[in-house]
Amino acid sequence: MEARFQPGDRVRILDRDQPGHVRTPIYVRGKTGVIERIVGSFPNPELLAVGHSGLPYKMLYRVNFAQSELWDDYDGKPEDTLEIEIYEHWLAPA
Amino acid sequence: MSETHEHAHDHEHPPHAHDGKPIQEDALPPLEAHVLETAVRELLIEKGVISSDDIRRSIEERESRNPALGAKIVARAWADPEFKSKLMNESDEALLTFGINMSPMELCVVENTQEVHNMVVCTLCSCYPRPVLGIPPAWYKRRDYRSRAVREPRAVLQEFGTQIPEAKQVRVHDSNADLRYLVLPQRPDGTEGWDEEQLAKLVTRDSMIGVSDALTPAEIED
Amino acid sequence: MRGPQDYGGLPAGPVDPENNEHDPTHWEKTVDAMMMLLFDQRRRLARVDESRRMQEALGEDYHKYPYYERWLQAISWLLLEKGVFTQEELDAKMAEVRPRLEAERNGG
Repeated sequence: MEARFQPGDRVRILDRDQPGHVRTPIYVRGKTGVIERIVGSFPNPELLAVGHSGLPYKMLYRVNFAQSELWDDYDGKPEDTLEIEIYEHWLAPA
Repeated sequence: MSETHEHAHDHEHPPHAHDGKPIQEDALPPLEAHVLETAVRELLIEKGVISSDDIRRSIEERESRNPALGAKIVARAWADPEFKSKLMNESDEALLTFGINMSPMELCVVENTQEVHNMVVCTLCSCYPRPVLGIPPAWYKRRDYRSRAVREPRAVLQEFGTQIPEAKQVRVHDSNADLRYLVLPQRPDGTEGWDEEQLAKLVTRDSMIGVSDALTPAEIED
Repeated sequence: MRGPQDYGGLPAGPVDPENNEHDPTHWEKTVDAMMMLLFDQRRRLARVDESRRMQEALGEDYHKYPYYERWLQAISWLLLEKGVFTQEELDAKMAEVRPRLEAERNGG
């Protein structure tokens, strides 16, 4: 499976409502981060959740965010980061 | 996007009984939950889906997975640079030497250094490196930790008595999908020449979640 | 559209690791074991993702249930959904179990 994004790419997490079980928490939706690494391809949890096989598999990435991008009132250091795994169909180039 | 009704606390029962004593191993749940669990379990056994032995064995297997196992792995990584490199880069292979199979998940090891402090949370449920550390602690599964660890990690660390120097970067890992995370704590000073068994005594469960540091030699003296 | 499980960043109280800590009780370990058995390679009766869907289906009740009671509810709903037993069978079994447990719990 070809990875659409490479480490270092800037990406935006899609800000969309979707019913059912999803693994993209609200707090990262619409936010911009950087691909930290390609994790690999995995069954789609949104389909596993309803008893399907999870096919087609989805490419999974770790995305790195500056905490200040996620929270307007973040009061730690500017270098503090948060990393989270995001499936490719929730990512757009930024 | 609708706002979730926001409570200051969730309504989960406190993990202490009303008399203030810690919950004991044989403590029972509310009657309704006990009834449902017993009914489900007995139906599964009657239908041959599982047996009482399966349950007993499953509990025993779970109990064999506990932070002492994680501590051995960390101690080896401290003592053996080659193993550490393997653990960081090909964790599957490194874990096999301890008889651990993470499949279908993968273990992602993140290293604490002079410059960086890592901590792990699962905001959506309670994903945890069970094959290495066992069942997650009760606080890890509660709303307070899950809500705040991503937004105010330094304040949460303080609640664990962990002071992070101003100059250090804090990296929070939200364990939300197919990786599971193990923090490799910093090896404490004053442990030069210690063997793996001695080193493992310094490695606490909390230090492998990243809410505290490893113990110091002075802290385990008594 | 925020699901009840999606806690990240919401206001909440102190973590209080000392008071919010207890070793799992035997009952909690039993529920844990049942879930793991349903997931295991041999049975493959359910996936962890399905269990999460069921827990999220609790809606506002998600916040009220202690952790393993949430798991138990998910187990029970999954087994009903998959037809391992019917609601009628479950109701009948619960009616049979209740007086037995009440007697045990009162008898000490």
